[in-house]
Amino acid sequence: MTTEPAEEQFTNQIGDHDDIWSIVDNALLGIGVTRETGFMDVIVSVENDEIVQASRALRDDEDSKFDYLRSLTAVDNTADGMEVVYHLYSTTKKHNVTVKVFLSNESLRLPTVTDVWPAANWLEREVAEMFGIKFLGHPDPRNLLMPEEIDDTFPLRKDHPLAEIEVLQGEGMGYSGEEL
Amino acid sequence: MSVELFGASLNPWVDAAIRLQLVVGFMTVVVMGLIYAERKILARFHQRVGPQKTGPRGLLQSVADAVKLVGKEDLRPAAADPWTFELAPYFVFIPIFLGFVIVPWVQGWNVRLLELGILYFVAISSVSIVGWVMAGWGSDNRYAIIGALRAAAQGISYELPLVLALLSAAMLAGSLQLDKIVEFQSAVPLIVWQPLGFFIFFVAALAELNRTPFDIPVGESEIVGGPFVEYSGIRWSMFFLAEYAGMLIMAFVGSSVFLGGYSWPFGEDFGLPLQVLLAAGKGGLFIFLIFWVRASVPRLRIDQLMGYSWKILLPFSFLQILINGFVLVYGLPHIILLITGVLSLGLLFWVTEGIVQRPLKSRRRRARPIAIQEAEVS
Amino acid sequence: MVEVLSQTSDQSAEFETQDLLLNVGPQHPSTHGVFRMVMTVDGEVVRDVIPYIGYLHRGAEKLCETMDFRQGIGFMDRTEYLAAFNAELSYVMAVEALADLEVPERAQWIRMILCELNRLSSHFMFLGAFGVDTGVFGTPFIYAWREREALIDLFEEVSGDRMMYAYFRPGGVAWDVPVNFVDRVREVLISATQGINDFDSLLSENEIFLARTQGVGSISATRAIALGMSGPSLRASGVDMDIRRDEPYLKYDQIDWDVITGEHGDVFDRYYCRVLEMRESIKIVKQCLEHLAPGPILPEKLPRMLRTPPGEVYLRTEAPRGEYGVYMVSKGGNRPYRCKVRSSCLSNLQALQELTIGEYVADAIVILGSIDIVLSEVDR
Repeated sequence: MTTEPAEEQFTNQIGDHDDIWSIVDNALLGIGVTRETGFMDVIVSVENDEIVQASRALRDDEDSKFDYLRSLTAVDNTADGMEVVYHLYSTTKKHNVTVKVFLSNESLRLPTVTDVWPAANWLEREVAEMFGIKFLGHPDPRNLLMPEEIDDTFPLRKDHPLAEIEVLQGEGMGYSGEEL
Repeated sequence: MSVELFGASLNPWVDAAIRLQLVVGFMTVVVMGLIYAERKILARFHQRVGPQKTGPRGLLQSVADAVKLVGKEDLRPAAADPWTFELAPYFVFIPIFLGFVIVPWVQGWNVRLLELGILYFVAISSVSIVGWVMAGWGSDNRYAIIGALRAAAQGISYELPLVLALLSAAMLAGSLQLDKIVEFQSAVPLIVWQPLGFFIFFVAALAELNRTPFDIPVGESEIVGGPFVEYSGIRWSMFFLAEYAGMLIMAFVGSSVFLGGYSWPFGEDFGLPLQVLLAAGKGGLFIFLIFWVRASVPRLRIDQLMGYSWKILLPFSFLQILINGFVLVYGLPHIILLITGVLSLGLLFWVTEGIVQRPLKSRRRRARPIAIQEAEVS
Repeated sequence: MVEVLSQTSDQSAEFETQDLLLNVGPQHPSTHGVFRMVMTVDGEVVRDVIPYIGYLHRGAEKLCETMDFRQGIGFMDRTEYLAAFNAELSYVMAVEALADLEVPERAQWIRMILCELNRLSSHFMFLGAFGVDTGVFGTPFIYAWREREALIDLFEEVSGDRMMYAYFRPGGVAWDVPVNFVDRVREVLISATQGINDFDSLLSENEIFLARTQGVGSISATRAIALGMSGPSLRASGVDMDIRRDEPYLKYDQIDWDVITGEHGDVFDRYYCRVLEMRESIKIVKQCLEHLAPGPILPEKLPRMLRTPPGEVYLRTEAPRGEYGVYMVSKGGNRPYRCKVRSSCLSNLQALQELTIGEYVADAIVILGSIDIVLSEVDR
């Protein structure tokens, strides 16, 4: 979780934050959000079960029109659970917003947004195989990058070992726990 | 019973054997030369050097290739149909060889000048399609079967314009025997009277030979070699040899029928060296055109290819026959043939261009910087 | 036998045909790397396409997490090896945003020149490979490589490497450009202009090429946006979106240039947008050369070990194939906590299924070529 305030040098790039805040607030009326300001874009956090509703609102609202899903990924915060991050853009209004969903380690599952942005299809598949987050209702939940039979190891999690390189840098162990 | 060959009288069987040996030897050497020539010429088009390490100026490149191919293992996929797979190269190779029988290389140099030479040539050259289908079917490979079916469809479609174009030339010459046709052109080559016919013949020949832009059955970038994808070593080289031999024979038939073969318009009485030079030059020009086309145009799609044959080439080849018939029946001067030929060739280009060119122009107008578009709107 | 006959007595079932599964790749001359698609074909018509990727997955994102900020640059080169400068740019700019580094003027202009030249070389690669996809025997490929070679020679003179440059650094560039840089760039621009003209006459005006590309594999603007396409592939559908203009980074706001859009979103538009875009790139570079003035290339106070405060940034730039984004999370320290690469090719490739279904087998290859993928960027 980031708590840093906005960096002034980038505010000129994204225009006035107040504008975008009012647009996002308007679109997400009735959905519980937490506001935050990142380095370049504003960040809103929504609840796990409200993500589809929020995405639809952000996409369909006249003023926000976030019709373009730039990127979808996740961050493993170890003990604090995981966060799924959506970077949205409006091709007509030319503004950005970052949407986050926090997941606790006990329930790594959330609804899919493929119905809202078809672009999420492969991105969600990648997140699912790399982090072990389950996207409920995904139309094609196969592995994307990894072999299809691998479904119990999640390489981008922090607890996944990266043997050789970490050993070379002197701060880790190999897969089997012994130094190489 | 005896036959004359180079002044000596021989038993027909011995004679046939010697002639076959000569054809095979001649063809192999010339084809190797052709492969070298294609590599060098394409390299020039590509602004490359081409083969240069094997022998002086890379002249032995084809020999090196041949040695490599013969030395390679002759693989057969486990799932392939053994008989079909192994016999297919012969079915492609032998018809091409048989086509050599009727070609009048120069005056008096030939195997047999059949009376129905053109008919024989057309009939025999379409047999090799069977070999393609056998190769595709026998390989048990999906790329191969797609390629084989494409080859069959394409071969049948382009056989018709090819036959009709040759037929229209034969109408004027009044004979199906190739040396008679050559003799007919001692004054003016037939390409002058039959420009449309020559164009149709050239396009159909490209398609028959599966050369660019009609190399759809082989489709290197789509179906990775088509029927030949599973072949290796000597069998593959038979296909390869057949391709170039086919090109050679097509070029010589084409130059005999339309360019006047070994004759030229400046006098009847000329010696053997000049004849050889003329025949080789005209055939070489034909082959060079094929190489040139290969270096500069993309491949057509199967539906466009079929459409072009049935909708454009076939009606136009009938048109040519119709014109010829009119001229011959009413005894009109030949200059009418030239005028109508050029006009109908122009019509053919116009029809073809019209299909493609119109979207291009509108597209040109559209694909342009957005700022200009906005300026126009406001 | 009787049973069989009775089963097929229904008229429609009498001539039953079966669709053919055609596997293309991962070893195929036209998949532009190790990409596999399984096509269901009905005769020559494609009924379904299932793409399989991941053959080149090396875990660049995971590796970045274990490297310090400067070491990560090399991994970015290797994700997008045809436009490595553009890939590096996103990464170093993300680091700069996190570490709050000011980039000197000269370094920014150098970056811009190199990125645009890299766009040129990448598009030349596309033109060549695309020409081969449509079936010309080698000619466009060799022509393209001739031009690309000149550009790559220039990159080698600047960075010391022909593909994996690792030349941009957080804060600027690794070292200053050679003294004759401006002259060399001008030389290369002349040959590149000539090369583009060659392509216009070799391919853009070729009737068979037009017949093969126009009206094939078109996608509407709305659909292209929904599928997350970007770059020339998106602009060909008429979407006026270019990060260089919409969210200017470096000095793009000081340059006079145009965003190229197509209209039909078909293969030809995707091709021709790139050709026109190359002319725009040349325009940009020419203007950049005017602005290039002597000066420092790195900030004065650059720590030996770069540390950033905690924070996160999603930094996107317009790479030749589309939006190349780097989402970087830092929790303090000298290495990224998470470094996600938003690959333009991955998102463009998602559209392949929609583009291809209903077209011919031969068109499938041309369509795949027209979205111009780099498999190492898709798989990372």
